[in-house]
Amino acid sequence: MKRIEVKLALPVVAPLLDVIKGMADGLRSNLAAPLGPMDLDADFSAAWAGELLEAQNADVAALLAMFNDEFFAEGVIAFDEDNAEQIVRATAAVRLRLREHYLKPLGDETLESGNVELERLDEPLRKAFMCYLFLATIQELIIQHLDSSMLDS
Amino acid sequence: MTVSQSKTQGTPAAQSATELEYEGLWRVVVLNDPVNLMSYVVLVFKKVFGFDETTARKHMLEVHEQGRSVVWSGMREKAEAYAFTLQQWHLTTVLEQDDVR
Repeated sequence: MKRIEVKLALPVVAPLLDVIKGMADGLRSNLAAPLGPMDLDADFSAAWAGELLEAQNADVAALLAMFNDEFFAEGVIAFDEDNAEQIVRATAAVRLRLREHYLKPLGDETLESGNVELERLDEPLRKAFMCYLFLATIQELIIQHLDSSMLDS
Repeated sequence: MTVSQSKTQGTPAAQSATELEYEGLWRVVVLNDPVNLMSYVVLVFKKVFGFDETTARKHMLEVHEQGRSVVWSGMREKAEAYAFTLQQWHLTTVLEQDDVR
């Protein structure tokens, strides 16, 4: 099984975990992406959203599980074919939640381009944006190295 | 998919009304968001629809540049299943009925 280990700078990443956990808490009862018009009746719509939420929670749990004892001891996180898909989806969910809760003042164009002067941001916004970039990096790493495994699964 | 199956259950009267509603073609439309990475959207399209790289990138660029892309069209039940899966991947997805029958 293909497995990728990444060594992270603990002093940089550990403080971001509080932000990730905060977003994960919010995702327990809220979908990351809004449900567009689907022309569904109320009961069906509730069941639909409930199943999405259940799947989202399982994905976010997989993301949080990545920051285990090994991470806190050595700064190492690992992905493999078993958890890659869930982590990729969870990073998307947390990033969407970060935009909703912290990053809207930056504007969508800035978010898409990523051109942000970090030193000009106040502490909570800067931390949220660093978290946003960190999760994008994780996502890109997984897509780059485990794309074929995810497509085959 | 459990959710789609539940929609077709119910009383016979409700069922026939539902079947009528299901007639025609439905489009699965993905809308742009400023968060999801291009590489991520391409991966999702490849994974969900089995698109090759070129087709997946074409749809991703449509979403990015035009704000939306019709990624699939067909019967309602299958359209729902695709929409559900895309929403599991956190892409903003809507269903639209195709007026041309």
